[in-house]
Amino acid sequence: MSTARSLVTIILAVSLLSACSQVRPWERGYLARKEMAWDTDALESALNDHIFFSKEAASGGDNAAGGGCGCN
Amino acid sequence: MKPKPSRSLIALSTSALALPGISVADAPPTQSTASYKISNYQEDDLSRSEAPFGDLDRYDIDVHQFKLISPVGRNFSVNIDANYETLTGASPWFTSVGLDGDPDVNLSGASGIRDKRTEVSIGARYYLENGSIGSNIGYSEEDDYRASYVGFSGERHFNNDLTTVSLAFSHSADDIFPTDAELFGRVISESKYSSSAVISVSQIINQFSTIRTAFSTTEQRGFLSDPYKLIDFRPDNKTQLAWSNSYRRFFVDRNAALHLNYRFYHDDFGISSHTIDTSWFQNLGRNYQLVPSIRYYSQSAADFFTNIDDFLKPLNEYQSSDYRLAAFGAISGSLSLVANFGNWTATLTAERYVASDKYAAYKVNQPSTALVKYNRVSLGFDYSF
Repeated sequence: MSTARSLVTIILAVSLLSACSQVRPWERGYLARKEMAWDTDALESALNDHIFFSKEAASGGDNAAGGGCGCN
Repeated sequence: MKPKPSRSLIALSTSALALPGISVADAPPTQSTASYKISNYQEDDLSRSEAPFGDLDRYDIDVHQFKLISPVGRNFSVNIDANYETLTGASPWFTSVGLDGDPDVNLSGASGIRDKRTEVSIGARYYLENGSIGSNIGYSEEDDYRASYVGFSGERHFNNDLTTVSLAFSHSADDIFPTDAELFGRVISESKYSSSAVISVSQIINQFSTIRTAFSTTEQRGFLSDPYKLIDFRPDNKTQLAWSNSYRRFFVDRNAALHLNYRFYHDDFGISSHTIDTSWFQNLGRNYQLVPSIRYYSQSAADFFTNIDDFLKPLNEYQSSDYRLAAFGAISGSLSLVANFGNWTATLTAERYVASDKYAAYKVNQPSTALVKYNRVSLGFDYSF
């Protein structure tokens, strides 16, 4: 329940940010750089997700889960 | 009155925005890109004090990954992903109490385990004026495991493309058929189903920084135990919740970008975890980039975790000595060198991962003896055409 409340708070906070910041399309050059991507290397991210999935209990967050594995 | 930007500047900026860095004015990628990465990671062997009998060698794993993404027409892109993985070594089979009263771990397979995993997935994406929708299907097969999955996702931009809301759903149906099942009294064939959903909101803060928050839930049902453990009995339902947050900032004077990510996780096995990781993307001239990263992870133990298997416990009571259900912490660090030459990009990565109950942020009532440490080396190439 507290997690859901935190989520709503964050979404509201993010929404409020939009009211105080207007970045025009031609001002987004730095944001468009490859090193600013959420995921700069898809294969590296997929590999890390797979390794951590097989070594730790936690998974999920940014992406919907793919297929499982018999990683023992 | 502010001067109006020229049309050519707007065109230049708009084309820059088609790069994968930021999601505005969605468009398919302008070029096809083929990527390949080869990786090896090797788990440290156990010591004789941790495993008094049998093999000490843990997994040695090679991974080959391939990805092709290509534009089709003005509004479509397609992608194909393929992975091939081979592993040799041994994994914990059961735990027992040692002469000193501490838990000892016994590894499976005196001659070691050999397995391979092949995975293929294909996907397509349709780009709209203010967003995109996509889908993918995939299939993964091992000697003793098979998974088929499907996923759907969509995103829409709001607020002059400063805000993006994304939704994704996936479902996986997995079959488990352990090797040597009759010989070792393992289950013959079982199934597992997983469904997950994710919602995320990303926001441009200013010219140099963006933030994203995402919430995911995954529901698993079916056979969730480990068929290769001598004793392992877990609930047949699990609900997982994860809340992740990401921040990106570009530093013009340093010509570098900072990545900062945090995730909180909880499931109804009783496990909670915190993950925080950060990377620094330092550009070196026009062609090179150095990327140091550090990650900290800690989880609490599952309600039914035991570090010494209880062979006298009734078989219908949950218990597992799987180290992945123990309370522990893990620290990993990596360094990547990225080189760009024309249409080619090469990336070399080295990583060290160490899990220990000493690093735990949560209370450790029963330390596991089988926590993993490994070294990883990867070499990847991307070619755009």
